[in-house]
Amino acid sequence: MNHAFTGTLPLLRHAIRLDRWKLLPWFLAFGIIPVVVYAVYGSLFPTPLDAFALQSSLSTNPAFSLLLGPATDLSNAIGFTTWRIQMFGMFFAALMAILAVTRHTRATEDSGQAELLDSGVVGRLARLTSAVLFAWLASAALALLVGAALTLVGAPTTSAYALAGAMGGTGVAFAGVGAATAQLGSVARTANTLAGTVLGISYLVRGLGDTLQDSDWLLWASPLGWAEHIRPASENNPGPLLLLVGVGGMLVILAAWLSSRRDFGLGLIPTRPGPARGRSGIWGLTSRLNRLPLWTWGVNLLILGTVFGLVTGTLSSAFAGNPFVRQLIAFRVATEEQLTYAFVEVLLLILGIIGAVMGIQLALRFFAEEEERRAEWILSAPLSRLRHVIPTAALAILAPAVGMGICSLALATASNVSGSPLDVGKVVLQGAAELPAIWLAVGVALALLGLAPQLRSLAWLILVYWLLLTFFGPILKVPEWLLDTSPFHIVPHVFSAGTDWLSTWWTLAIAAILAVAGLAGYRRRDLVCT
Amino acid sequence: MTAAVSISGLVKSFGRFRALDGLDLEVLEGEVHGFLGPNGAGKSTTLRILLGLLRADSGTVKVLGGDPWRDVVPLHKRIAYVPGDVSIWPSLTGGEAIDLLGRLRGGLDEKRRKDLLETLELDPSKRGHTYSKGNRQKVAIVAALSSNAELLILDEPTAGLDPLMEATFREEILRERTLGRTVLLSSHILAEVEALADRISIIRKGKVVETNSLEEMRSRTRTNVSATLDDGLGALTALPGIADLRIEGNRVHFSVDAQTLGDAMSVLARHGMSALTVTPPSLEDLFLQHYGEQHEPSGNEDDQRLNASFFARRGRRRAP
Repeated sequence: MNHAFTGTLPLLRHAIRLDRWKLLPWFLAFGIIPVVVYAVYGSLFPTPLDAFALQSSLSTNPAFSLLLGPATDLSNAIGFTTWRIQMFGMFFAALMAILAVTRHTRATEDSGQAELLDSGVVGRLARLTSAVLFAWLASAALALLVGAALTLVGAPTTSAYALAGAMGGTGVAFAGVGAATAQLGSVARTANTLAGTVLGISYLVRGLGDTLQDSDWLLWASPLGWAEHIRPASENNPGPLLLLVGVGGMLVILAAWLSSRRDFGLGLIPTRPGPARGRSGIWGLTSRLNRLPLWTWGVNLLILGTVFGLVTGTLSSAFAGNPFVRQLIAFRVATEEQLTYAFVEVLLLILGIIGAVMGIQLALRFFAEEEERRAEWILSAPLSRLRHVIPTAALAILAPAVGMGICSLALATASNVSGSPLDVGKVVLQGAAELPAIWLAVGVALALLGLAPQLRSLAWLILVYWLLLTFFGPILKVPEWLLDTSPFHIVPHVFSAGTDWLSTWWTLAIAAILAVAGLAGYRRRDLVCT
Repeated sequence: MTAAVSISGLVKSFGRFRALDGLDLEVLEGEVHGFLGPNGAGKSTTLRILLGLLRADSGTVKVLGGDPWRDVVPLHKRIAYVPGDVSIWPSLTGGEAIDLLGRLRGGLDEKRRKDLLETLELDPSKRGHTYSKGNRQKVAIVAALSSNAELLILDEPTAGLDPLMEATFREEILRERTLGRTVLLSSHILAEVEALADRISIIRKGKVVETNSLEEMRSRTRTNVSATLDDGLGALTALPGIADLRIEGNRVHFSVDAQTLGDAMSVLARHGMSALTVTPPSLEDLFLQHYGEQHEPSGNEDDQRLNASFFARRGRRRAP
């Protein structure tokens, strides 16, 4: 047992050296965004009354508590900052930890680097331990960064570090999740998908706990729910943080145990031999390669749509219990139907962004074929570049459309079943109205793939920019012209009278140009040969 | 004979690195052509240009009479390729991968596929990510050799194969040659090229420095001679065309060029020769002639140094 950890520290140093630059964008985002949100509070809400008005109106749209958590206290800057960034912050900290752990455990086995490392003077558990320590260090650094940045701009120290701790703690817990799933899946991608699913379910369960009536107990079923109980800016309760760290540690012990029960390079989920003959061509290959992500996305969108629909179904009772909403309705400022549709529209916007994630992911997966040298081999057959890439492009365009169809139909159906009648046709149409924006994201991804594959991560960056702009822009009073640079901001409103579809056509045209440019670029450029 | 591949003045740069610097290469129809050079000399880049995967910066390239960049599909129906580092889709089995490539080219030779799987002892029902490097290489070899292509482009095809499989592979290549196929075989394994190739091109720093048959390369190079003599060791020094003379007691070592070889032999015979070793230049000698900082005859310790410097030569680095 003594030797099981030999070599952990050199491996940790190696991991830090490899990942310095990979982590920089994460740290930058985590250093800057909280400060910006904190700093604009004063200009947004000159008087406490303004903040109170926002808090009241927020409670009319439960989509926000589903997405961002409850607005506990908006009467001061740190409370506002907490409400805006804590959920996203926790989500992305967890994602960073998962990716880091997988990258240094499972992915190194896939690439063969682990074989080289393990053959050296390295204990059996050293690689896993160093990867987890690395993710923990990164989470801690991230928390210190958020805490220090907020303190510097004047936030109360306790609250700032409580908020930072919620994020760092989530990272620590999900590093444990990543360590465990890295032992289950037999390739890095499977491991990431498994851990990502756990994260997604945790986010959803936490959201339901915050949104549904009398369901606080649900919060205890999700690590993100525990982190929420820290309640930065109001209670600053350190207990849940210990829980997160403890669970993270226990998951790592579980992972170590699992790793001793599996063979090098294989997962606990075994690989079975397959057919000795095949009949697929390039279309068949593309659908084979994307079968797992397509099923994962399909099931996730179905569940998400259904859950969102059920939440919508409970709206009537939520409205009835809210004095502010009762006033709005009584003074005919808004009808209950309008409020419901406003809610549904935000939900569909969230689903639309998730659809864009799906489209970008499907498009960019294609580059792995080049990176892992399979494109070189298959293109030596009589297969033109266009025929090679077109199935992927078609998939990245069609799959989000099917996905939006599935989730908006599920949303409308579930809502109707649970007591909030919605016009199914309109809901599906509003879902379809998100498609041009999704396709623009796919177009950006395809263009980068064909013209500048080294810069392909820009597609993610642009989506994050659109996401931040669309969800945070209006409340931060960003000028309208800047908001309009996000295609998700200009999605037509099907539920209001006189829908303007002009922006849709523009978005579609730009998306089409980008996609065509990408395909033409792939036809003309050198294959990336490593 | 016409040329299956003809390249002249080919230039290809990656950023500021000039991978190919005016390369000329001619592969005749029906021959096995060895393409010899260390990692990073530009072998793979040349082959990728022949396959239209990379675009030439300048120079003319003809493959089977066509332009490899423009006529990809018609040309690839007649070409099969084994990449230097084969990677197979993790979720596909080897058999499925072979059939995918076959289907893209509109069918493959079923009997040959079956025979090759047997002779190479490859299990086609395993998943891509469970194959070893050698087995991945075999998958690509089966796919290429069962395609009945006119031109086989092989990039270090035996890397990762064990010696027995290497021998089997050589037999298969010789068999392809008897069927009239053209083979362009890139390698840095000298023995393999020596055993298979009709003609050899040696590439160095993006240029072909010599193309010839092994016989002709040998005839123009020095032969290494060691002999034991009774007397007259000094007589050799008078002969022109002798170099690297070393005398150890009554043993003498020297190298001699082809024209002087006869004279040298008669001198040796006249001086009471009692033992004689004549070594034709190995491919390694020929190779080192182009790669060593200076040519040294084999059999002395300098070879170690030359070998070391050759293998340590920095080239385009492969990503891990």
